[in-house]
Amino acid sequence: MRKYLKISAAIVVIGLGVVAYFWFMPHRDVQKTKAFAEIEAQTLVNEFLTDRAKANDRYLANDGDSKVLIISGEVVDRTVDQSGMQVVLVKTSPTDEMGVSCTFSLESNAQAKTLTPGTAIKIKGVIRSGAEIDKDLDLVEHVVLEKCAVVK
Amino acid sequence: MKNLCLSLCVCLLSFGAIAQSKLTTSTGHIKFFSSTVAEDIEANNYKVLSTLSSDGTLVFSVPMQSFEFDKALMQKHYNSKKFLDTKQFPKAKFKGNISNIDDIDLTKDGTYTAKVTGALTIHGETNSVEEDLHLKVNAGQVMATTEFTIVLADYGVAFKDGKPSTNIAKEIKITATLDYK
Repeated sequence: MRKYLKISAAIVVIGLGVVAYFWFMPHRDVQKTKAFAEIEAQTLVNEFLTDRAKANDRYLANDGDSKVLIISGEVVDRTVDQSGMQVVLVKTSPTDEMGVSCTFSLESNAQAKTLTPGTAIKIKGVIRSGAEIDKDLDLVEHVVLEKCAVVK
Repeated sequence: MKNLCLSLCVCLLSFGAIAQSKLTTSTGHIKFFSSTVAEDIEANNYKVLSTLSSDGTLVFSVPMQSFEFDKALMQKHYNSKKFLDTKQFPKAKFKGNISNIDDIDLTKDGTYTAKVTGALTIHGETNSVEEDLHLKVNAGQVMATTEFTIVLADYGVAFKDGKPSTNIAKEIKITATLDYK
């Protein structure tokens, strides 16, 4: 009888442990994740403009933990979003129509504040969506990268 | 005569530029909130792209994978094929018009209530939307806010049984804050 009680208690403890693990599972640390690819801003934009479905399939994940990329180019613009995060627009050339919009994080925000237009740069982050020219909506959409940090 | 023609062309082009002036933001914020007896769920997205034209055209594009949840597992569920399938449908979009745009001056400081009607596409499903958008114009910047609810089943997201059917509300509250410049 005591043996059954011990086994039951062990099963309950393991069960609670599994539930607690999933409940408190941390978000993926993007900066500690190995980059899937290192790519020029315009090359990445072109992949989406050439075949959006293929690029979505290559870079986006079903569970939202999409590919971590290192993009390279030139700082074209820097703004701040409504949560106080720095947003840096990177293009291969400032005259390009589209580029990569990189949102920094609490941990990396300070390093973005020193960036000025014209600076050559490499930024690591997780891709959220691709570039698109939506003629119906009359919108030009950059590639979106988040949880970014400068690669030194 | 040549100069007159040239001046006329310049005037027409200038008028065209004014007539089509457009405010934009790429840092709009959308929050959704689900409340049930079991739990409250909230997610935030600060990467909303939107344009507001002086002719009353209003457009949104929302990268769906940019919604951040407190709990990592919840975020994984939200993105998965059973929920919003954000790999297949990476963006939500809206295109609509402000019906009372003649009563609103986007160049004059003040507060206005815009009557918006349009089509909202989420998860590949499109529905018509009719909501108020509150506009605050201040020194050339326009802050727009709105709050409305959507029915998940209208966008092809429905759960008949299991935990999602009890933990996720059938109607989700959407709050948008758009910082146009």
